[in-house]
Amino acid sequence: MEIAIALFFSTLRQATPLLFTSLGGLFSERSGVVNIGLEGMILFGAAASAIGVQRIEVLTGGAQEWWIPWVGLLLGAAMGGLVGAVHAVASIKYRADQIVSGTAINILALGAPSILLQVLYNNTSTSQEVVNRLPTVFLLGDQLSILVFVAFLLVPLIWWVLFKTPWGLRLRAVGEHPEAAETMGVNVIRMRYIAVILSGVLAGVAGAYLSIGFLNQFVRNMSAGQGFIALAALIFGKWHPLGVLGATLLFGFFQALAIQLQGGEILPSVIIQALPYILTMLVLAGFIGRSRPPAAVGKPYDK
Amino acid sequence: MSRYWFLGVNLLVLLLMLVSPWGVPMREFDGSSYMLNPLGAINPAGLKLPPLNLDWLTPAFGLWVLILIVASGALFLPDERNRARVLYILGGVGLALFALEAILFYQAMDAANQAAVAAGARRPPLRRFSLSLGAYVGLFYALGLLLLARLQLAGGRAFLVRYRGLIVPMVALILAIVIGALVVAVLRPGLGLTGGQGVALREFLAAKLDLVTYTYQILFSPVLSLTGIFSSLSFATPLIFAGVAVAFGFKAGLFNIGGPGQITLGAVAAMLVGVYVPGPAWVVLPLAIIATMAGGALWAGIAGWLKARFGANEVINTIMLNYIAASVLLFLIASNTYKFFGRTVTLPFKAPGFEGRSAEIQPGARLPQIIDLLVPGGHFSWALPLAVLAGIGVYVGLRRLELGRRLLGATGAVIVGYLLGALIPGFAVKVSSDLNSILLNGSFLLAVVALLFYNFFLFRTSSGYELRATGLAPKAAEYAGVNLNRKIILAMLISGALAGLVATHYVLGGGVDGTYRLKQSLPTDAGFFGIAIALMGQSTPLGIFLASALFGVLLSGATTLNVQLGISRDLVTVLQALIIMFIAVGGLLPRYFTDPLRAAQIETEDRARQDEGAAKAAKVVGD
Repeated sequence: MEIAIALFFSTLRQATPLLFTSLGGLFSERSGVVNIGLEGMILFGAAASAIGVQRIEVLTGGAQEWWIPWVGLLLGAAMGGLVGAVHAVASIKYRADQIVSGTAINILALGAPSILLQVLYNNTSTSQEVVNRLPTVFLLGDQLSILVFVAFLLVPLIWWVLFKTPWGLRLRAVGEHPEAAETMGVNVIRMRYIAVILSGVLAGVAGAYLSIGFLNQFVRNMSAGQGFIALAALIFGKWHPLGVLGATLLFGFFQALAIQLQGGEILPSVIIQALPYILTMLVLAGFIGRSRPPAAVGKPYDK
Repeated sequence: MSRYWFLGVNLLVLLLMLVSPWGVPMREFDGSSYMLNPLGAINPAGLKLPPLNLDWLTPAFGLWVLILIVASGALFLPDERNRARVLYILGGVGLALFALEAILFYQAMDAANQAAVAAGARRPPLRRFSLSLGAYVGLFYALGLLLLARLQLAGGRAFLVRYRGLIVPMVALILAIVIGALVVAVLRPGLGLTGGQGVALREFLAAKLDLVTYTYQILFSPVLSLTGIFSSLSFATPLIFAGVAVAFGFKAGLFNIGGPGQITLGAVAAMLVGVYVPGPAWVVLPLAIIATMAGGALWAGIAGWLKARFGANEVINTIMLNYIAASVLLFLIASNTYKFFGRTVTLPFKAPGFEGRSAEIQPGARLPQIIDLLVPGGHFSWALPLAVLAGIGVYVGLRRLELGRRLLGATGAVIVGYLLGALIPGFAVKVSSDLNSILLNGSFLLAVVALLFYNFFLFRTSSGYELRATGLAPKAAEYAGVNLNRKIILAMLISGALAGLVATHYVLGGGVDGTYRLKQSLPTDAGFFGIAIALMGQSTPLGIFLASALFGVLLSGATTLNVQLGISRDLVTVLQALIIMFIAVGGLLPRYFTDPLRAAQIETEDRARQDEGAAKAAKVVGD
């Protein structure tokens, strides 16, 4: 029983960054812009949060203050949004190949933080540890970051926004048939900008969760493919908030299981780690139900 | 409008010339320097120099100011041909002036050093001297003037558009370099300045500009030495394979982002053959090379088959396969015993020891180091140079004579040349230990073969033609009888095989650290950087080679950069990312540079205008 609870909590912890990122990707792809740069946006968010908090701590003398981690979270979200804006400008204004642009962001996120870390901390892989982490909530003898609850509350909210508000209808229309949406008076370009920047913000929050919630520092390439798993969850969840919730829980469960089974006797953890990717490929091929992307995804819009 | 832009550029050039160092006669190891400037030397670190002859500096600056003023005026001349003429002349004068500056500067340095040594100094006092930004700005400005002159004439814009395959990557490179410079300048204090307080603005600016210039001088410095060139080519080898792999996908309309996974599988296959297959070298080595291709092809082929059979997006699938491959590598090499539901499974692959790595590849399956091919046992061998010369010679000869069978003839000539060259007695050569430690191996030759294959297959075979047709217009190709599904699978198989060949460098050639093993820490980033290479090389064989060489140089220079200036070598990673981004947005250039239809329109319009102009001129002459 204890193991089951530990596994459950571990699943929630692992699923949280996936959920934030995946919901971000949901906005972007529903508006018709492929966002393969989510991985990079997580990293940028994580770096901005950890380094920002560390710098503030230097100014305040390392004391614990309730507001510092929240400022860090804001910094992470803003950084993610900024990188999202870069992707938006490239793929909307300049009609860049969205996959190329996203790849550029991912590669940038491998290199740019290292340069800053080298200057600030004289090493290229980690930032200094911080004391001010995002607050946690006690539950059944375990601790959960407050962002875990935020992530799961976002799911119904985003479902409502996407499927019950005019704005959500417009967003989906823009992703399915932008020309039709335009004739109905929807500003396609603006909708896409908002959606892509929003996806960056959410990925940035996921990064902040990793660096000042889950850990207390930035580590080079700390997302370790979570952005791509989130992308996989988006496909697995068929571009629907509830599907995304299920997919991220499943993938989070695999990750938790892989940690729990380390050195155990049931299955090697490397095999469990590969499961989300294998499942996504099977879904994409239609072996386990068909997953259909928004019709206009990946195509630049020409007025 | 554009004229006023040009005035702005001139002003910027003048400002840069005023504040930046023109030459650095002396630089310490930590980078602090003595900076020459027409307004007087800047010496924040207080270095002492022997007397130098620098009388030419102020007149040279005066001449540049003159050039700037005349060029500014020239753009307002009414007749386009006069404009072009003046600009051509100014550009030529600028180039000559830069050459003169370079000669005078290095002469002065040598003279000072010789004088000091003659006077009894133990070593030359001036070290790490070089021209600097102020002089380089002049060079680039002069080149810019020549280009501007061409643009004044009729058909100028069409000229630019025709070479858009060159211009977009160049502009992207320049933009990336400028942003990289800004990043360095913002993050690191200027050279020779420790604090930030009490520093005059002029000193501050000059030190920052010096820092930026020195950073790029270090990054590009490998081109100046044989060791550096070897090292650069060693860094370039995996990039060539990866670049060709991605470009091959592009040509067929596929985005193969799965390079890392294909490299991993290629490396695993190379290990399996290289460690476990017994036999003589002439069997095992080819087999091991084929194994790398098979491993990569298998991994990419999965994505190809899924796309052909189920329409599944190859981008997502190749990404997923990257992570699955990483798991496969870990599973095979990180540990030898696993438990499945209580039962123990034992694998043979991991060698004893803490680090996850395989046993050593048998000597027969290793690729030789290039230096051992060129200078076996301390004697220069003619085998490789003669083989290359004979191959190129026969190919070009057969092409001139239009005899056909060029490839067959050239291949034969390579073999004959190699055998003949091995018979010619060589001369003794001393190889420095630096050069000996460079990990440039036979994989580089394979990379060149891969480039030739790329060119041959895509542009000289009907299968390659069908593949390109599939990429350009799938529906038209299908209508013409191409089996699209089969082409998709074929393209992914070949692309994967090319990516898998990266493993020949890392595993069979010992390209990671000189040990011939498959390691858990196998670098696979080349698979991603291949995207930058393919984009920058515009998917042409020569372009891919040049782009790889460029990044090889930068990667090689980055190691020095880290040691000397404490700037992370990831600066090159950032430059790569920026280049990808800027090429993706078409270099921020007008749309007719990226859209072939609009480009064709511009070319036609300009040609019409040119013809009109020519007709008018002919009429004037006729009257």
